[in-house]
Amino acid sequence: MSDALLRTPFPERAGAALKDTFLQEALKIATTKFIDLRKESFAGFPQGEALRDRARAIKEATLQHLDVHLERLADNVERLGGHVHWATTAEEAREMVLRLCRDRGVRMAVKSKSMATEEIDLNEALEHAGVAPVETDLGEYIIQLAHEKPSHIIAPAIHKTKGQVAELFSRELRGEFPADPEILTAVARKALREKFLQADMGITGANFAVADTGTVVLVTNEGNGRMVTSLPRIHVALMGVEKVIPSMTDLVVFLAILARSATGQKLSSYTTLVRGPRWAGELEGPEEFHLILLDNGRSRQIASTLREALYCLRCGACLNVCPVYRQIGGHAYGYTYPGPIGILLTAMLKGNESVRELAHASSLCGACKDVCPVRIDIPRMLVELREHLDREKIAPWTERVVFKAFRRLLLSPTAFRLSAAIGRWAQRPFVRNGRLRGLPLVFGQWTKTRDLPPVAARTFRERWKELR
Amino acid sequence: MTGRAEFIARIRREVSKTPGLFGASTAPRPADPATAAETVRRELAERWPEALERFRTEFERIAGVFHRVPDLAAVPAAIGAIARGYGAKSLVTWDPTALGFDAAPALTREGLDVVAARAGQEDEAARLRHREQAARAQVGVTGADFVLAETGTLILLSGSGRPRSTSLLPDVHVAVFGRDRLLETLEQVGVMLEALHVSPDHAMSGAMINFITGPSRTADIELTLTRGVHGPKEVHAVFVEAP
Repeated sequence: MSDALLRTPFPERAGAALKDTFLQEALKIATTKFIDLRKESFAGFPQGEALRDRARAIKEATLQHLDVHLERLADNVERLGGHVHWATTAEEAREMVLRLCRDRGVRMAVKSKSMATEEIDLNEALEHAGVAPVETDLGEYIIQLAHEKPSHIIAPAIHKTKGQVAELFSRELRGEFPADPEILTAVARKALREKFLQADMGITGANFAVADTGTVVLVTNEGNGRMVTSLPRIHVALMGVEKVIPSMTDLVVFLAILARSATGQKLSSYTTLVRGPRWAGELEGPEEFHLILLDNGRSRQIASTLREALYCLRCGACLNVCPVYRQIGGHAYGYTYPGPIGILLTAMLKGNESVRELAHASSLCGACKDVCPVRIDIPRMLVELREHLDREKIAPWTERVVFKAFRRLLLSPTAFRLSAAIGRWAQRPFVRNGRLRGLPLVFGQWTKTRDLPPVAARTFRERWKELR
Repeated sequence: MTGRAEFIARIRREVSKTPGLFGASTAPRPADPATAAETVRRELAERWPEALERFRTEFERIAGVFHRVPDLAAVPAAIGAIARGYGAKSLVTWDPTALGFDAAPALTREGLDVVAARAGQEDEAARLRHREQAARAQVGVTGADFVLAETGTLILLSGSGRPRSTSLLPDVHVAVFGRDRLLETLEQVGVMLEALHVSPDHAMSGAMINFITGPSRTADIELTLTRGVHGPKEVHAVFVEAP
């Protein structure tokens, strides 16, 4: 995300999103539709709950021996004739792709949708190096032409109207195109077909990588994932280390719940299993296959607070149900990964400091945990993250002082009783319609956006004393 | 640049710091995949009519077009009808050996332009020629290695005489298969993939396995469902009754 945007404080970014009436409407329609599709899909799938438990267990078991599975994956990819690269940081990963481009004389790279390449800002690096990166997922293509960033993990352009897309295509692709999704899709098909056939390199992420067989798995609906892994002479796959799973038996467990969680489909249109470069006797397929394994802060969390976030399948289900995401959309979060899981992933990749505001962009309602295909306990980790921010003195001092005082109060019965008495007297000027509003001093930080129930005329403790 | 040893050592160090969140195990793999696959096939030999019905329902639900012909001799006519229905002039097919039939003579007689991939021709010139032919053709004809009833999915292995683009570049994809290809559940697909991996025939196939579940689709513009964004706009499944 651009630095200019991040210099704006989160509440202002969120405020701007709330005033954008089109965005509000688009978010409501999109997230509601995704929620319904998911619900419907799981309703007719009684074994879904058991499969979610199994998928969660597989992720945890894999993490417990992550080193072994990664080595096995690497051995098998190499056995198939592929090359494996190890990137500790985003910068290393970028440098590996750039070096490949330089050495192989790559001028244009076609990309299938990949959050990992967004995470390392690969497109900017390629452009700087004189290589044209072409996003080929329709949503990603739209936002690349518009010089924007994805606003949803699986529906990157939900913030744009068909009118805006028609205008954009007419300008960028030179033509007069009507605001008709079918026609606009056909326009993109034609423009991108040429790119697929011309590109020297295909760049993808990976939804899964099967250690047993050295297989990289891509799940798409449009078929662009198949194009970029079949037509260019080089295929580069970039994946976070947590994407490895042990076997094909494990893979089908995930396939059964991934599309259902994301779009409500039983399976996405295409699940593509890539086993290295093209084999002897094959007419088509890349002559070179490179797998880049990306750490970028992930390994630090294996034994730490955000361990469970490493289970994430990037399905987007938690975004759709989140009362905060539904109001502000993906851009306001300011980083590659939006939504509740995005806050955790951002903390993982960029450090706790980067989420000092975002850690509070959750009502802790737990809807995200309910829909997560692998039942990641997002609310628990958000609370722990807030605690870290406090302990590391990253949270604002006012917040820390108020909560420290509050803690004292709760630990001493006398102080608690006394504070109730003082509060009852001091609150008088601020009670309106039975709610506390517009408190002065630091307390105003709370009542600026919320209200509070006032201290009761007789507290529970006082009544309890009489009842006894 | 980080080397493998250093990278793995860091991961190992972190892994050893924690016993994990809870005792967990991966999905139990079949001990002997080949035998497990044989068992699945034997069961399906009995139950294929139900599996076929289920496939048909699911396939049509995702906008697939289902056809049924009595034997291989009837396949070219069925493909011809599909091509005419789309107004297609040219077709590409897998190698007739990989397909199990040769549709070219009959379709050519109908005035269609048919190009078949040939196993054993894999040099650069053949590659470029075939790519151009596949990009121009409106119909691509393939077989299917597994047909998954539960989701209406066609599963294709790439390999010699089985180019990847045949089911990808043309507007219309036609897959021809018999009863021995039917599977009921994703779990059974898992067994087959395990078996494939240890099978001696493994080396015969290619680097790519594609699960194809209906036509190419997108909903990226205002969530309007649109078919044929990059891959085929239509997918046809032709079931051949004769074993």
